[in-house]
Amino acid sequence: MDSEPIDDVEREQFERELKLAFERRPAPPSLKRKVMEHRGRQRTERLRIRTVIWQRLAACLLLAGLLGGGFEWRQREEQRRGEAARQQVLSALRITTHALNQVRAQLAEHDRDRQE
Amino acid sequence: MAHDWQRDFEQLVDEHQSMVFSLALRMTGDRGLAEEIAQDVFMELDRNMGRIESPLHALYWLRRVAMSRSADALRRRKVRGMDLWVEMEEGHGAFVEQRSSPLSSRLEQLLATLPEPQRAALVLRYQEDLTPEEIAATLEAPLATVKSHLQRGLKLLRAKAATNLKEFVRVKEQARGF
Repeated sequence: MDSEPIDDVEREQFERELKLAFERRPAPPSLKRKVMEHRGRQRTERLRIRTVIWQRLAACLLLAGLLGGGFEWRQREEQRRGEAARQQVLSALRITTHALNQVRAQLAEHDRDRQE
Repeated sequence: MAHDWQRDFEQLVDEHQSMVFSLALRMTGDRGLAEEIAQDVFMELDRNMGRIESPLHALYWLRRVAMSRSADALRRRKVRGMDLWVEMEEGHGAFVEQRSSPLSSRLEQLLATLPEPQRAALVLRYQEDLTPEEIAATLEAPLATVKSHLQRGLKLLRAKAATNLKEFVRVKEQARGF
């Protein structure tokens, strides 16, 4: 579709018509309400998701803390038991040494008596 | 801080809803779809409020996103095989009935028959009063391409107007009994 050649005046007139024809239209009255409602719903949903994420994170941290604490307690308990066993062995060694010393002293006394 | 943003957002919606809606309406020719697009654009603005630096930035951002979302909507319709132009012609009754000037209504109808890139350039030029450079920035297209779309679109629209409006005036005159 070819148009006839047009002069500047005609072009300007046509452009003025276009500007009038293409004025902005008022938005439907419900648009802003819908946008604000949608925004409110999205914010609530985002807040809910954020809360769930924080709750899960807190639960993970608590679980990690419990596991770490349990592991630490077990380590210390094993150390404590090891120390108690070491002390028991040392006590037994001290008693044995004492008993052996006594036996050696008695034997030495017995030897002296026989020589006399 | 959050309250300030909310107030700003509402203010931006108040100020620009007509612009965003009109762009989407002229690009798609469908009031319902235009309203959906406008909603999406404002929701995206809400998500990007942190990046908006000034009211002017918001205006340019909204124009760009409104045009981009409208183009996406048109593409989706084409993919779905819907004949947009027939729909626009049929739906245009509701779209134009509030217009005071029949010439304006006809020009809007004729705009809907132009190819999408030419329509986009003309809408930004005559609705938003943008320069070709600003249109190129908004559509993220080369300046030469935009100028070409403007020239071709204007020529095509004028040619269509010359044919259709003569017919339109003749029909009206006949109806009046001339």
